[in-house]
Amino acid sequence: MNLAEITPGADHVFAVFRQETKADTHVHVGDVHAPDAEMALVLAKEQFARRDPCVNLWVVRYADIAATPYGDADMLEPSTDKSYRFGGSYREQQRVYRRR
Amino acid sequence: MALWAAPDAPAVLGDGARREALRAMLLAWADDELILGHRHSEWTGVAPDIESDVALSSIAQDELGHARLLYEQAAAEGQSPDRLAFGRRPEAFRNATLVERENGDWASTIVRIWLYDHADAARLAVLADSPLGSFAALARTLGREEKYHRLFADAWLERLARAGDDSRGRVQAALDALWREALAVFEPSPGEEALLAAGALVAGAAEQAVRWASAVVPRLEALGLRVPPERDVPVGGGRSGRHTPALAALLDEMTSVSRSDPEARW
Repeated sequence: MNLAEITPGADHVFAVFRQETKADTHVHVGDVHAPDAEMALVLAKEQFARRDPCVNLWVVRYADIAATPYGDADMLEPSTDKSYRFGGSYREQQRVYRRR
Repeated sequence: MALWAAPDAPAVLGDGARREALRAMLLAWADDELILGHRHSEWTGVAPDIESDVALSSIAQDELGHARLLYEQAAAEGQSPDRLAFGRRPEAFRNATLVERENGDWASTIVRIWLYDHADAARLAVLADSPLGSFAALARTLGREEKYHRLFADAWLERLARAGDDSRGRVQAALDALWREALAVFEPSPGEEALLAAGALVAGAAEQAVRWASAVVPRLEALGLRVPPERDVPVGGGRSGRHTPALAALLDEMTSVSRSDPEARW
């Protein structure tokens, strides 16, 4: 298994993360092609912030993202009943947190 | 939005002459934004990359929105902003000739948006300092979007200027071709002296041109670009209705729908 696989040839593709309000987490909303991070931000603004308002954008070069391989996705699935661990309460926590 | 009806307007603008002078200034400005917005929109679908295509198309819409706000203020009593935009002959337009020129290549488009939007910033800064509160507020509204336009133009200009000989050569050629028309963005509109004398305007076009040049010249030089030798001699005429044939062709296309039914309501 090869953990921390880097997407090959992804030097000029940036993942764009958008934060709707300061109380929200940044959410991956899409990608832009750009030669560098500054240009990626300039272009991301019109691609992903021109319709609904937001307060912040992040861009991350795909080449800088370490990812688990899809071939090993079964590693992320529980093989025995782990329903006692399901994280529903985390979602509730987020909802409460956002109200502040 | 009736800025003219603001309580502070009569004290600053007084008689009709100053009011007309301010209207003339806003009309010229609206014409700049409308015509350049239209030129930007001509890149929709054919810009060098999809991201810049979307961004410049969006900037085009911003400029048309600004033109609309400015036409609403420049319009005489009962006059429709749409008629101002679509119902005038080329010689009635007061835009700088810089904005009517055909787009040319991408370098030329970027050099123009850069020169123009920095000139627009100088003009906006003066309106934002206006003793007329409602006009200062209008300047702040327009300024928020213009900040992004400059960011886009700055980012592209820097990269084109540093991208190698072919690219820098095109940028330099565009600068040589456009510089003196960019200076003419600062041709004063009629009645400016009266506005200055009354304090309705804190700096005239000549002063704005000086501020603009002191902002843009060092940046061009830092990018290894050469400001044309005849740097102080504007090539203008637009502000008095003397235009190039490019404007007539642009208006012919831009007004083709509204001419098909001038009385239609949209």
